[in-house]
This record gives sequence, structure tokens and C-alpha cells, in this order.
Amino acid sequence: MPYYETSQEWLRQSALLLEARPSTTRITTTYHLTDKTGSSKKRQKRRQQQLQTATTTTTTTTTTASSAAPRASLTIKTYDPHSGTCLKYRTTKAAEVSRLILSLGQLGRKMAALPTDTDAVMVDAGVAEEVGTPGVEKTEGSGSASGNAGAKGQTQTQPPAQTQGQGQTGGGGGKGKKKRGKK
Amino acid sequence: MGHLSNDEFFAKLVELFDSAKGKDHGSIVLTQKRLSYDQPLPEATDDTLPSDLHPPQPLPILIRVTNGKGKEARKAKKKIKLSTVVGPDALPAFFERYAEICKQGMGSLKPRDRSKRKGKAKKKSKAAVTTTTA
Repeated sequence: MPYYETSQEWLRQSALLLEARPSTTRITTTYHLTDKTGSSKKRQKRRQQQLQTATTTTTTTTTTASSAAPRASLTIKTYDPHSGTCLKYRTTKAAEVSRLILSLGQLGRKMAALPTDTDAVMVDAGVAEEVGTPGVEKTEGSGSASGNAGAKGQTQTQPPAQTQGQGQTGGGGGKGKKKRGKK
Repeated sequence: MGHLSNDEFFAKLVELFDSAKGKDHGSIVLTQKRLSYDQPLPEATDDTLPSDLHPPQPLPILIRVTNGKGKEARKAKKKIKLSTVVGPDALPAFFERYAEICKQGMGSLKPRDRSKRKGKAKKKSKAAVTTTTA
């Protein structure tokens, strides 16, 4: 199964899979040290050769560079052994970690067969009115409200999020152009 | 090995991430799934709908962590396996802490600003760096 381009798409598909098979689906998150983003054997070979030639010529610089920053990647996989469905997403960006883990939490709610966050908000609001402790309950309500926005966004707010992502990549492209312009 | 409590689990997880720090290979595998073993689930009343789709009460979640070692390492007792069960009520708090620990533990991923310079043009990166800094 190929990797998804965006984590939003992975999250959306995983949520659908969990809805269909809540008991058998599992989510595995693997943190690989050493960068495996270019995992084709040819590329690895080439990289090794480069390293070897580099080490023969300039030993000190390459060793310090490689030891200073051992790269890593994070692969997140939703797998259902019953249907054989496998959904994957991979990243190397540290900035994405906490968002991904929190989306694991969202999916965890589905696994636990908890009501979706929309229902939770309703319940929370009801509780807040009944108990009348606005300080605590309000924060809870607002927290789950934001969670609700995220969860609901699987269908509604995520298209904008995706466009944001595209915007970012577009920005990257823009940078490339800038560089060319400067050269 | 039985399941750890959530607090113990987090403590060991931090240890595991710390032990991976500064190494240039290895992996840490985190898994989560519904804990369906030994859980009361009603028998399927209808053949068309599986009974696990809408259980009467929320079920706990099983979280497992290993350091991805197998075979020889297992014999040498280097394989680390942790597991914990998170109740439905504890889920939000658990995942907040989980995210925090993972963020700190996965320090070898690319930091935010470096990722923009790298990636596309490695040759150009040097020139870009000088231009941006200048």
C-alpha cells in the first residue's frame, strides 16, 4: 500500500477504516533512527559510496556531520489484519510529531467506541449547565470543542487544511524560484 | 509481563527514548489497538452486522511499545516491551502526555527551519544559506 501524501488524508482514511473494523484495526507508529526516506537500495548504495569516498578524502568533516545529526523518520501505519488494509504516512519533520500523536488520540476515541467529539461536547455542555461549576467545566467544554472542530474537520475543515499544506509546498516552490532568481 | 500502569509506562517510555538518543540506528515501535481480549461483548444477534461496531459501553485501549529488537537480541534480553491499558475516561489526558513525551523523545527528526533549506536543493543550500544570512 502506498504512502499518503498528507497526514490529513491518512487520518481521514484511518478514521473510516476504524469505523468499519474497530476491533481488529491497529495503529503502529515507528520511529526509525537513520533516515530511510530514500530507502531504495540503489540510493542507499550510492549514499554509502559517497560516504566512503568522502571519508577517504575528508575524514573529519563527514564523521562529525554524520555523528552530530543522526537523522530519523516517523512512519505511522494503520493496519487491519481482517481485510488486509494498510494505510501509511511517513514524515521526517519534528514539527509534525505532536499533531500526529494527538490525531492518534482522536482515532483512539473511535477504538474505544467513545461517542464522537460532537456528542461529547453536547454532554459536557449539559453537565456544565447542571453542575454549575463554570470554571472547570467550561475549560473542558472548550477543549473538547476544539477537539470537535478537529474531528469534524475530517470532512469539513480539512480541505482548507490541505490547501494550507499545498500552500506551504507552493511556498517552497516559490523559494526555489527565488533562489534561481538570485543566482 | 503484565500491563504497566499509565504512569509507570510513561516513565519507562522516557527511559527508552533516552536510550535511543545519540544512537545512529535502531527504532522504537508504538502500537495501539482496542483491547478486545477478555472484554464483555454481546454475541452477534444479526449476521449482517458485526457486534463490535456499536458496543454497549466504551472499551479500553491497549498501548504497546517495543524497541524493535528480535531474535538474537531477544535471547540476550535486550528486547524491551512495554504495554499499558488506557481506560476510556483517561484517553485525552493520556494522549496529551504521550504526545509531549514523543515530541521530546524523537529529537532526531528534522527541526522546523532546517527542513525548509534542505530537501530540494542540496547543492544550492550553501548559496541559499549565505544569501539568507547575509
